[in-house]
Amino acid sequence: MKVQISNGMFMALIINMIYAKAIGVTQGSMAREVGGDIWISTLIATIQGGVIMFLVILVIRRMPEGDLIDQAARLLGKWFGKFVALITFLFFLAAYGPVMSTFVFHLKDYFLPEAPILLFIIAAFLLGTYAIYFGVEVIARMALIGVFSIIALNILLMFGSLSEFDIRELRPTFQMGFLRTVWASRHHNTDWAMATIMAGIILPMVADKKTWGKMGFAGIGYGMVFIIMWPILEAGVLSPETAAQYIVSCMQMARSAQIGYFVHRYEMIMIAFFALSILTQIMMSLLCASVAMQKMLGLKDYRKVIIPTAIILSSFGYWINFDKNRAVDFLEGWWVYISIGVAVGLPFLILVMGFLFKKKLKKEIVAEEVK
Amino acid sequence: MTAVEEKDHFFRDLQDNENLMTEILGSSVDLVKRRITFHEHKNVQAICYYTDGLVDVIQIELFISDLLYKGNWLLQHTTLPTGPPLTLLKEHMLTNASFQVVKEVSQAVDGILSGVAVLILDGSDEVFVIQTKGWEKRGVDEPQTEQVVRGPRDGFTESIRTNTALVRRRIRDPKLRIEQMNIGKRSKTDVNIAYIEDIVKEGLVEEVKKRLRDIKIDAILESGYIEELIEDAPRSPFTTVQSTERPDKVASSILEGRVAIFVDNTPFVLVVPSFFWQFLQASDDYYSRFMTGSFFRAIRYLAFVLSLTLTSIYVMLVSFHQEMIPTQLILTIASGREVVPFPVLLEALLMEISFELMREAGLRMPKPVGQAAVSIVGSLVIGQAAVQAGIVSPFMVIIVALTGIASFAIPNYAASFSIRLIRFPLLIAAGTLGLLGFSAMFTLLAIHALTLRSFGESYLAPATPFQPNDQKDSIIRFPWWKMQMRPEGVTGDEKRVGDHQFPEPPNTDPYSKEGGKGKEEDQKDGSRKKKTRRIIKLKGEDEE
Repeated sequence: MKVQISNGMFMALIINMIYAKAIGVTQGSMAREVGGDIWISTLIATIQGGVIMFLVILVIRRMPEGDLIDQAARLLGKWFGKFVALITFLFFLAAYGPVMSTFVFHLKDYFLPEAPILLFIIAAFLLGTYAIYFGVEVIARMALIGVFSIIALNILLMFGSLSEFDIRELRPTFQMGFLRTVWASRHHNTDWAMATIMAGIILPMVADKKTWGKMGFAGIGYGMVFIIMWPILEAGVLSPETAAQYIVSCMQMARSAQIGYFVHRYEMIMIAFFALSILTQIMMSLLCASVAMQKMLGLKDYRKVIIPTAIILSSFGYWINFDKNRAVDFLEGWWVYISIGVAVGLPFLILVMGFLFKKKLKKEIVAEEVK
Repeated sequence: MTAVEEKDHFFRDLQDNENLMTEILGSSVDLVKRRITFHEHKNVQAICYYTDGLVDVIQIELFISDLLYKGNWLLQHTTLPTGPPLTLLKEHMLTNASFQVVKEVSQAVDGILSGVAVLILDGSDEVFVIQTKGWEKRGVDEPQTEQVVRGPRDGFTESIRTNTALVRRRIRDPKLRIEQMNIGKRSKTDVNIAYIEDIVKEGLVEEVKKRLRDIKIDAILESGYIEELIEDAPRSPFTTVQSTERPDKVASSILEGRVAIFVDNTPFVLVVPSFFWQFLQASDDYYSRFMTGSFFRAIRYLAFVLSLTLTSIYVMLVSFHQEMIPTQLILTIASGREVVPFPVLLEALLMEISFELMREAGLRMPKPVGQAAVSIVGSLVIGQAAVQAGIVSPFMVIIVALTGIASFAIPNYAASFSIRLIRFPLLIAAGTLGLLGFSAMFTLLAIHALTLRSFGESYLAPATPFQPNDQKDSIIRFPWWKMQMRPEGVTGDEKRVGDHQFPEPPNTDPYSKEGGKGKEEDQKDGSRKKKTRRIIKLKGEDEE
């Protein structure tokens, strides 16, 4: 029987896929460009993310049994499908760099400064391969629990930092100008890009096709609600200047948050709640890359390529993060162009192709239904 | 090939049958062969076989006396229709409540070995199997492993029929089905499965039966054998089949659409499918007030978390992340650890293993010798003496003791043991790789638990997949008038509590708008309640 996940699980996957990097690493990058307007940039990026998600859902809906790669193969043949699979694989290969940066920066910088980077890469490799072996359903269930831990994390952080909040730090708005604020939103768009391409791969496994759109937008909406608190608090509590000085500004905020005497160092609790989100990113990147690799090689089961795919992704993750400057450069430079380029370009290309080869696609759909 | 397999049908000649039975049963002292001759009609002879100790001797005596005297008298003084002697006996003389006629030798032999009497009559290739089971039984007693403060004190015994009766007493529903199976090539253990026909989830009974039928083993000596052979995740440290000694627990599980598996010779009944959270729930939760029940359930959840993670978190913090501990506290811990020569991980492992040793020794030693001695030695090993000897720090003693106590608060012994077991890899990971190791191992466990299923159901339900209705009986227990529906997965009759069950006493306030009237339903047909109200009112007037 084909694996199916519920619509709630799909929503949870979207939320988790965005959350881990968006609340800290992304905010730090945006703060360096637009200061206190990071929350406006976040909102703008969410709208853009919604548009890309809409595009992906539109594409998959045409033939709900196939993902982006299958759609491409149906439209222009096997080799075009393989080409799209290669693009998808490269996308998740590139995504693994920032994902591992988020993982390593949080754990290494704040808890285990002396531990070698390889240790984190191996841990992610082991956890990721173990989880994706059981398929998307297990990851989706973890993501569902992850949503509850995100809620707990947000509530605790609010308790710990609201007393320090100064609304004046958020004023005046559009300090750096409207266009720069919009431009800075590209950093958060990279997070949405991961969620939307992931949706392009897993949507056919989501049970209720009628509510895909609704659930996709609900996921975006909730993701925004859970994330938006962070730039507002980071600007209002830490001040935009301080937030801009840290690569992982959320950890700095958690460090300064004080809930009580015995929880005076809050970041460990934060990490506990945040872990499921970053693990979802790791697992989904590995899963989607494995599916792309499987389709590239024309295999029946992605499980056969889990280990080689994970080795390739982990090697890249290690190479990127071995040098912190390289990691930050990639995160704020190359990754932005790769992710947005693929996330916008790929669904758009397949959508346009769909219009051009409407008749062929219809025939394919009818043949599929007859089967 | 045995004699039974070679020839599975009786002969007509009694001597041939006797030889056959001697060949099969041999000459064990407990296997009794009783030759009976009808005095006045010597042509009618019979042999009765039974196993001494498994039968009720009085029933056997009554049965033989019926044959010898009453049968003889009947044959002499009444005109009976002619026919085979077996039919005559069956229709006119034997008054036993339960007997059947069998043709297969194997069936008769199985019967003899399980406590029934077999009567072989001369001239007939069919034999009587008469229910005379009656061996020494332990009385229905309080369960040893699952005690409650409020709730019934009866627990299962080693007798399967007593156990099914204990459940039948609680569910007097004609839809309650109890089906019989025999498992074990040599033990031929009686196994019963119980469920309610119009509640149990579709396909579950067939799946249970299939898994039981597929068991090929020489003997089933306890339900643990079956548990290991039918569970979904045999390599997992988590137990996916619930075992219980409490009839009320089994009854409630059956009422929730699950299937109970009774095994003869054990007081532990299996319930499938099982969910992780059930292992943290006790019968008391449902018998005490919902707030009390919920509070103690929450305490048990806390106990689970403490039992699983406390030592690991302590080791992780002290070894790698001292900055996470408030200064005053870390100074106290450091001063306590000053004289301890071992690293924290080793210290923790030593203490944990000592604790497990004591628990095991306390369990195995004879009561009169063991418990006092173990508790005295235990207090030395996990106590002031160990601290003074410089082997462990006072903080570690507190941590390990707290972890141990927390593990005892888990109501299900099997689950408690599983949790204690998975504590060790978590401890080693936290002690070697700090936060990374702890979180990695914890996540591995979480992923593993998420992949588990119990008879097709997700092991972590209703948390994931999240089932909103079932949350009324998860971390907190809602009052019964709120838990109207059975858990998800039940088919057919899904409602278990009727509407408007919120108890509303009569309104006795004369100044209220309703003027001393109760709720609408009472006004419609509540003549008794109205009367009660009047009496209360009058009482109030008297007091004034």
